[in-house]
Amino acid sequence: MTAQSTLAPQRDGAPEPSGRSVRRRRAHRGQARIAALYLAPAGIVLVSVMAYPLYQLVQLSLYEYGQAQASGGAPLEFLGLGNYTRLLNDPRFWMVLLNTCGFAAVCVAGSLAVGITLAVLASRVRQLPRALLFLAALGAWATPAVAGSTVWLFLFDQDFGLVNEVLTGIGLTGMEGFSWTYDRFVAFALVAGEVIWCSFPFVMVTMYAGIKAIPEEMVEAASLDGASTWRTARSVLLPMLRPLLVIATIQSIIWDFKIFTQIYVMTDGGGVAGQNLVLNVYAYQEAFAGSNYGLGSAIGVVMTALLLLITVIYLRVQRGTGENA
Amino acid sequence: MRFWKTAAVVVAGALLAGCGPPQVDQGASGEDKSTGTLRVWLFDEANRDPKEDVVNAAVREFEGEHEDVTVDVRYIAVDTRSERFTGAFNDPSSAPDVAEFGNTDLASYVAAGGLAELDTMLGNWPAAQDLSESVLETARTDGKTYGVPWFTGVRALYYRTDVFEELDLDPPRTLGEIAEKARRVRAARPDMYGIATGGKYTYAMMPFIWAHDGELARGEGARWESAVDEPAARAGIEAYTELLEPNVCPPEQCAQLTGTESVQAFAGGKAAMTIGGDFNRAAVDAGAAGDHYDVVPLPGTEPGEIAPAFAGGNLLGVLRSSDRSSLAEEFIRVLAGKKYQREMYEAMGYLPTFEDVQNQVSSEDPTVRPFVETLQAGTRFVPATPAWSEIDAQEILPTMVQRIVTEGELDSATAEAARRMNDTFRD
Amino acid sequence: MTTATHTAPTTGRRRKQLFRRPGRTLAEITTVLVAAVVAFPLYWMLLTAFKPRGQIQSTDPRPWTLSPTLENFRRVFTVNDFGRYFLNSLLVAGVVVVVSLVVSFLAAVALTRFRFRGRTVLLVMILTAQMVPVEALTIPLFFLMRSVGSVAPWFGLNHLGSLVLVHLAFSLPFAIWMLRGFVAAVPAELEEAATLDGASRFRFTWQVLFPLVAPGLVAMSVLSFIHAWNDFLFAKTFIISATENQTLPLAVLVFFKPTGNDWGAIMAGSTLMTIPVLVFFVLVQRHLVSGIAGAVKE
Repeated sequence: MTAQSTLAPQRDGAPEPSGRSVRRRRAHRGQARIAALYLAPAGIVLVSVMAYPLYQLVQLSLYEYGQAQASGGAPLEFLGLGNYTRLLNDPRFWMVLLNTCGFAAVCVAGSLAVGITLAVLASRVRQLPRALLFLAALGAWATPAVAGSTVWLFLFDQDFGLVNEVLTGIGLTGMEGFSWTYDRFVAFALVAGEVIWCSFPFVMVTMYAGIKAIPEEMVEAASLDGASTWRTARSVLLPMLRPLLVIATIQSIIWDFKIFTQIYVMTDGGGVAGQNLVLNVYAYQEAFAGSNYGLGSAIGVVMTALLLLITVIYLRVQRGTGENA
Repeated sequence: MRFWKTAAVVVAGALLAGCGPPQVDQGASGEDKSTGTLRVWLFDEANRDPKEDVVNAAVREFEGEHEDVTVDVRYIAVDTRSERFTGAFNDPSSAPDVAEFGNTDLASYVAAGGLAELDTMLGNWPAAQDLSESVLETARTDGKTYGVPWFTGVRALYYRTDVFEELDLDPPRTLGEIAEKARRVRAARPDMYGIATGGKYTYAMMPFIWAHDGELARGEGARWESAVDEPAARAGIEAYTELLEPNVCPPEQCAQLTGTESVQAFAGGKAAMTIGGDFNRAAVDAGAAGDHYDVVPLPGTEPGEIAPAFAGGNLLGVLRSSDRSSLAEEFIRVLAGKKYQREMYEAMGYLPTFEDVQNQVSSEDPTVRPFVETLQAGTRFVPATPAWSEIDAQEILPTMVQRIVTEGELDSATAEAARRMNDTFRD
Repeated sequence: MTTATHTAPTTGRRRKQLFRRPGRTLAEITTVLVAAVVAFPLYWMLLTAFKPRGQIQSTDPRPWTLSPTLENFRRVFTVNDFGRYFLNSLLVAGVVVVVSLVVSFLAAVALTRFRFRGRTVLLVMILTAQMVPVEALTIPLFFLMRSVGSVAPWFGLNHLGSLVLVHLAFSLPFAIWMLRGFVAAVPAELEEAATLDGASRFRFTWQVLFPLVAPGLVAMSVLSFIHAWNDFLFAKTFIISATENQTLPLAVLVFFKPTGNDWGAIMAGSTLMTIPVLVFFVLVQRHLVSGIAGAVKE
């Protein structure tokens, strides 16, 4: 719809109230025309590859749409909310939903905690150690999800992994041949470790930039007042960092809620008995392995709605507390 | 506001334009080229080299007979086949012309409209007279044939002669003895699995269910009802999951094992027993256990019985979207013909589907006897419905086994599996 | 909106240390240790890639090797046609970067330098578009690409074009949003001066504005590049049978085998996949940090 909306004012003439000269109005019309031209490529791509699929996602979720329907071998059957009621009545779906929320929460909390701690740490040390930390963090950040997953898997491999070897070496003989992907929570913890490893750098870099942007005079003034470090942090630093913190949190939520690669690669498609499935992997398995495109789309819709909901609630809460602070 | 009006019109237009999700009619392309590249998909195997050699020989022969034709063979992994075939049915341009597929998938591939009918081709092919009727039956759905049986697969019990001798054990005579002997092996040799089998190895579990008089599902035609939560099936499933215990095949390692991986563990010398097919013999021969193993039919619940085996087997078929269907049919005649079936038997141990070739090999080769015995004792098949592929792809039964193994809840896991199977049957 | 330069970590002037206590040495030791831990998986990947097979499949792994070998890389390039996949990945990511650069710059200019009705609505839409979990769109996109393929095969399933299309679309909202800040930061007087000099609007946009927002463009390019380069889900879904059109992430997984994972090859492949991004990252590090901080500080 993006492209169309830009055309509207053009046909409409200048949006400003009358009383201005015709020349000005003509200039506006010209502006709108050029703007429409400039926006057209982005608009076309976004409408066709994002807006339209989004609409189709909802549509697919309302149909019985399996392989036979997709390849034209069977007539379409409109189910209405049938796929959704099926989902809501499926204990498996609730387990996956719980998995997703819990897993994302741990990853978000972990990335934020590690990222903020290290940002504070980085602001307190000299150039060289800081540069080393940033270099290492950039490395982790730059590592593609598949590569990161494989390396972590190898480090924690039950036979040839370094971690088991070291743990056995320091006397934990029970760790010999220990499988890190067998138990549900251990497997989730392993994946969460990898996710935090590659997503904390973003938080760290953002927060570090934020800390550096705080005028020192403010901190000094607060300390001179006799405020304790904790109070300084709470009353001076936090409000100033809040906008960045909000962004970092939202980004992390968005990333971690829709993790696919790490879970898929590290738990071999969802773990033993599907115990490590998250919504995204579940939707993929339903759709592309199980040929239930309709049901898979319904999961996609639920995921999108949840993500938007969480983000909006978070923004609301933040704004609320931001005003009170 | 003008903007909203425009937006509303656009949305309404989009809704009208695309009412209903897309459907592609991927019917026959109508074309039938006699040159170019013939694309072939075959399954990857634990030890693929001998298979590849035979296939390459067949390809050379075929290419020699046809000018300007090249055959492009791809080996696809068995466990991700469902995604691959789904893609191929959705996008004819990326589909192969010829594909190998398991007989359990036939019904769903046909329902998806992906396979071409081969009755005419079989009628014009004299050798087809010799195809075993019972095997040919697995290539049919609704009275039409959609594949040429390439080999038959039945599974039996592989065991390590050296280990059994060392521990003074006889081959198991009942299913119960398998667990018992496996425990004794593992107690004496903790570096070995008593038996290598896996949570994802559904075909190894099926004989346990059938031997206990259980069923996967009951029904006929379009109406099926899962039976895995009935007491008989539960007893069989319980007997199978007893093998996935720390003192037999530790779940940390075995819960995720597939059939190929289980056989591989045995071939690599890591297990004293496994359930493997005739088609696995080449892989086992090539492995560390190659010189110290023997095969017996998988026993039933009482001594002297043979557990009903799953009548597996792979077919070669032509995809409906192929624009080289005549070439594809001719290629199948070569690769699935008597000469190469025989060579494939020698290379991989694949049991031939031609009765005369079957008789020939079993009279010459004693190692094939346990498999033939198993075949003769009567085999069973999965529910003949398109839903089965989906049940398979959703890993409903592996999930059930894994849940029992990890949570120990036989009743609720089987009940859940039955519910999910019924959901799929009813779709 | 402030420009990024304010928040860049290395402001030239020496800051008075906030905490100048003996604790600093401790803090620095901790920092170095943390850096080592964070970098360790990468070191292990690199090391394993150069280890001979015997030392990898060993139950006694050592954190060094005295006999480095290229055997793993050789296997990766010969057994699995890695060079080809590398080029495929590069092609997809490269095209996405170039096209999204131009497209998002144009859109950003339109959204900041022009007044027209519906602008606010558009901005809000672009902001919301960033929230859409694109992974959820895999299913409809799969069918979309299937239809596209019947009209323009190069952009259909099984072709790299389909990957280009989706990554282009996914990188645009953030890119536009980010560049908008940079374009807005260029003073309006500059434009007036240029126009007085007789430069056309078009020339101004490309010859003055474009270079001025370079830091933003760099940051944006890196992000689009990485997004496209790392993609696993869409490559897995769209490239069905044409193994010649696979990209790196899928190619690496080929070495996970039922017969035992070939860890040497997996690590060599992962190394090859990581290095370009790493180099890219380190080179543009400063711009990246400032670019993100700039976009983020709305």
